[in-house]
Amino acid sequence: MLFLMFQLGRDRYVLETGQVEAVLPLLTTKQLPGAPAGVAGAISYRGRPVPVVDLALLALGRPAEPRLSTRIILLRYPSGPGSDDLLGLLVEQAVETIERDAADFTTSGVEAGMPPYLGPVASDERGLIQWIRGEALLSPEIRGILFRELATEP
Amino acid sequence: MSAVTDRTMDDGIAECWREIGVRGDRSCPELITHLHCRNCPTHAEVARKLLDRPLPPGYRDAWTQHFARRDEKAPEGEEIDSVLIFRIGEEWLGLPAGICREIAEPRPVHSLPHRRHEAVRGIVNVRGELLICISLPALLGIGATAFSRGSGRIAIFPRLVVIGEEARHVAFEVDEVHGLHGYRAHERGPVPATVGRAAGSVVETMIPWNGHTVGCLAAGRLLDLIDRSIA
Repeated sequence: MLFLMFQLGRDRYVLETGQVEAVLPLLTTKQLPGAPAGVAGAISYRGRPVPVVDLALLALGRPAEPRLSTRIILLRYPSGPGSDDLLGLLVEQAVETIERDAADFTTSGVEAGMPPYLGPVASDERGLIQWIRGEALLSPEIRGILFRELATEP
Repeated sequence: MSAVTDRTMDDGIAECWREIGVRGDRSCPELITHLHCRNCPTHAEVARKLLDRPLPPGYRDAWTQHFARRDEKAPEGEEIDSVLIFRIGEEWLGLPAGICREIAEPRPVHSLPHRRHEAVRGIVNVRGELLICISLPALLGIGATAFSRGSGRIAIFPRLVVIGEEARHVAFEVDEVHGLHGYRAHERGPVPATVGRAAGSVVETMIPWNGHTVGCLAAGRLLDLIDRSIA
């Protein structure tokens, strides 16, 4: 399986590339006033409004640094049977892909109280890599707010 | 990109490859294991640092405008497919990127005794893995005619393409690989009746690319055809 790697702080995380629609450079986001914490705003992707979640803000409490290696990963977010919403993830150090077996990932041992999007971990010579479950990134309430808000925009 | 060749690096990057590496006096002890600086983790680390620089002015707004633009020709939500474009003889062909595993340099093909099908050329060693090497011209019935080298083309390299799903990998040789090409569904055209019988069953659609019309092979049917030729 092919994974897209990125970093939050010093730690490395991966997303399964099957869920990824595209990787965009850092774009200017339109602010969404009143949006839940962690939401950086919305971008226009080929004329389609896409909400962007700043993963650094969500997980570390500080916004992602504006650098060339900071990118927006467009994730296909299952919204219903046969249809997908797009969700942008603002992440740092999205510069690498790795090929790993899904069986290489094992539970981290600390499951209780962890955010639901944190999945199992795998190790390599540089340390541990954690699998991010894209579909669990947003809580149902936030998801409802984000996609409803954008759907009502003209 | 200019910063890569710029000698005065403002990021404090030590250009060891110019001093003790392949562009310097080659005294680096790591060269024994890595052979060339491009294989060295230090070199990769520097490349990563280049991407870690702040955004150049205007970068963000230019990309924002680029991605906000609607693709006028394409209907809303139309899928983009990507194919690997390669050449056999004079024929440019495309193969869905999803089944391509690796592009390697050509290597000796060890022939198999008592082979039954002319499409099977033998066995190749790709990084320790022994793969069956097939002949795509024989399999598809494409004549391997000599390619008239255009004046603008400087270097053309034959390549070995490894394809397959999961653990079933096979390899075949091509005369040239262009790379990946993304196209939209509305660009697909019908396959002309003049395409040869064997090729016609595998060529799924035609797409325009770079002034050529490229026949795109259907992944499933190609793999089936290969399986039958190996059996």
